[in-house]
Amino acid sequence: MRAVIAEDSVLLREGVAGLLRAHDVDVVGCCETAEDLMLKVRSYSPDIAIVDIRLPPTHRDEGLRAALEIRSHHPGVGVLVLSQYVEVGLALKLFEDTADGAGYLLKDRISDVTDFVAAVRRIAEGGSAIDPIIVSTLISRHREDDPLVALTPREHEVLVLMAEGRSNQGIADRLVITLRAVEKYVSSIFGKLGLPSAGSDSRRVLAVLLYLRA
Amino acid sequence: MAAASCTTLLALTSDHIPEPGVHAGLAVWGILAFALAGTVAWWRRPESRFGILMVVAGATWFLATLTSANLAVPYTIGLVFDLVPAVAFLHVVLAFPNGRLEGPFERSLVAVGYATALGVHTIGMTLGGFGPDNLAELASRGTASHRLENVQLVVISALCLAGVVLLALRRREAGRPLRRSLARLVDSFALALVMLAFLFLSAVFGLASGETSFETIRRVTFFFVGLAPLVFLVGLLQARLARSAVGDLIVELRTDPAPTDLRDALSRAVRDPSLTLAYWLPEFQTYAGVDGRPVEPGADDTGRAMTLIDRDGEPVAALLHDPSLEDEPELLAAATAGAGIALENARLQVELRARLEELRGSRARMVDVADKERQRLERNLHDGAQQRLIALSLELSLLGGELDGDKHAQERLTRARHEIAASLAELREIARGIHPAVVSGHGLGVALEQLAALAPLPVKLSVETEGRLPEAVEVAAYYLVSESLANVGKYADASFATVAVRRGADGVIIEVTDDGVGGADTERGTGLRGIADRLEALDGTLRAWSPAGGGTRIRGEIPCAP
Repeated sequence: MRAVIAEDSVLLREGVAGLLRAHDVDVVGCCETAEDLMLKVRSYSPDIAIVDIRLPPTHRDEGLRAALEIRSHHPGVGVLVLSQYVEVGLALKLFEDTADGAGYLLKDRISDVTDFVAAVRRIAEGGSAIDPIIVSTLISRHREDDPLVALTPREHEVLVLMAEGRSNQGIADRLVITLRAVEKYVSSIFGKLGLPSAGSDSRRVLAVLLYLRA
Repeated sequence: MAAASCTTLLALTSDHIPEPGVHAGLAVWGILAFALAGTVAWWRRPESRFGILMVVAGATWFLATLTSANLAVPYTIGLVFDLVPAVAFLHVVLAFPNGRLEGPFERSLVAVGYATALGVHTIGMTLGGFGPDNLAELASRGTASHRLENVQLVVISALCLAGVVLLALRRREAGRPLRRSLARLVDSFALALVMLAFLFLSAVFGLASGETSFETIRRVTFFFVGLAPLVFLVGLLQARLARSAVGDLIVELRTDPAPTDLRDALSRAVRDPSLTLAYWLPEFQTYAGVDGRPVEPGADDTGRAMTLIDRDGEPVAALLHDPSLEDEPELLAAATAGAGIALENARLQVELRARLEELRGSRARMVDVADKERQRLERNLHDGAQQRLIALSLELSLLGGELDGDKHAQERLTRARHEIAASLAELREIARGIHPAVVSGHGLGVALEQLAALAPLPVKLSVETEGRLPEAVEVAAYYLVSESLANVGKYADASFATVAVRRGADGVIIEVTDDGVGGADTERGTGLRGIADRLEALDGTLRAWSPAGGGTRIRGEIPCAP
């Protein structure tokens, strides 16, 4: 698996590159600016680009714009956006059309090395990853006649993990239950929320995200 | 009068001019017009040479009519002055309004004119060709004399046409609508000059077929030349009438009008639609317009005249007006005296506005400086402490991977990482409180999604602005929504809220409404008051409608260009 990293803090750039290399990820390029990132994406065709949302020169939205450009012009390249704050609005922008091969995580998540590397692999393979803070913000959002109250506590847990982009197997491992049990919970949740059963893991992420946002 | 009677007598008894009645009538028309207008102008404004100049022009016309005399001496004198009235008229036109020729070009035009009409003409007379009564005849070379006269006529025509061009140029330089009576006067001057040129040219080149049509042109020309001073006279009389407009002004100002009305009222009283007023603000040592913003009267308005108005030796205001008003100083004086108290009141109002404007400006600067400082702090946190803590947490995590076996050390490392995670969460909150970086980075719409999602009640969000707005506007709107939603959660006991951002006629409108208990007030508490300050610093407004039991509507409006 090949990755490029755009991050202007040396400390974090080298940290991420080091831990990915330690987990057999081929880090083919590291850079500081969005321009360099686009160059590296074009010339190396990596499986994933890991992008800091604030990049020079203005540290405003250069990183996000680069991420969106990769999403639209290089659909084969997964994009993981890292940030020191996560915002519902930015998640909606990043996953506007599809959650396939896209992730948005708080930088803090880097230090959960196993989970982080798993998320990177998932995105590189076309899956998705959404920061738990986004998911919990959306799930605890106040709504009129909240349909989420109909969910059992277990279904609630499964919904959160599903929205974070995890596969059924990932959810089973996390909750220490069988794959069949996860499948049963998932179809029950979709039934209670009135969502059509979605195909891939990332498609169901988008469905849940849009459902929670409304 | 004497001149006119003399002319009439000469013409009527003349043995060599056709239709003496018409001839005399036109001559009297012209002479009297110049004499009358000149006398009135002279009497009204003895310091201006314009009146005298007109009287002199009338006198030359009289001298020229001596050609109708049957006796040789007056006939010869008349011949000498035959062409002078045309040049004198050109002189009058170019010397308007103060009786002086301002530019070297004007001076040379008039000088060449007199030289041609008097000097060259007299030389021509010595060559003969003006009949037996020409006492100046020394040689009898009629053809040469005739040719010379044609040259003279062409030259004077050219001078007249140059005068018309000068008038047109002056009018264009003025670059704005002239005062009405003045425009009429300039038009009548130009028309008369064109007629003179046409008359002389048709005499030289025989443009008019037959003696009768030439005579018609001559009469029309005389009529228009005589008309010009009468137009001037009418203008003078109107100026007299204008002083009754000053009376209207005083009545109008009793109701103590707002400064814009004062300008309109003054402009009507002196009949100058282009008039502008600037008030002197001693505190700022500058002039200011009605809106309280500083202006420099006369800085870019070339060709405008300025009259300063003072009261007890202290300057009050400056009037910028058409230069022609300077010829009616008593009208200006009457109007400004009549507007005295009102002007002083208006000046005080403008001064108040200027102070408010200054206050708003300094408040905007303070908000701006504070925002920049907050942005810098947030950036320092982001690039400094937060990055280091994340790197430290990663380092500890990697260290944990190398400590296989030692359960106790593993646990302590995990605890340390949890501490760091908690610190990072706290720092995130602090950083967001210092400056909402997501607003400046990604815009109001994106940032409001998070506020709506985190609100303690269901929120319907609609953002209908296209693209980004100025950063200060977005930040103010963000704080407005943030504070309003926090208040809804704290006091309103509401079940639902809406947040709407849209473009209004000349700015952005932000509305937060709820269905709660109402009774909110922008003056209560510091939160909304602070937001109101922030909006006012951007020239915006904040209003709250909050009837008891009827929900609350907070509406902010911030001007910004589309």
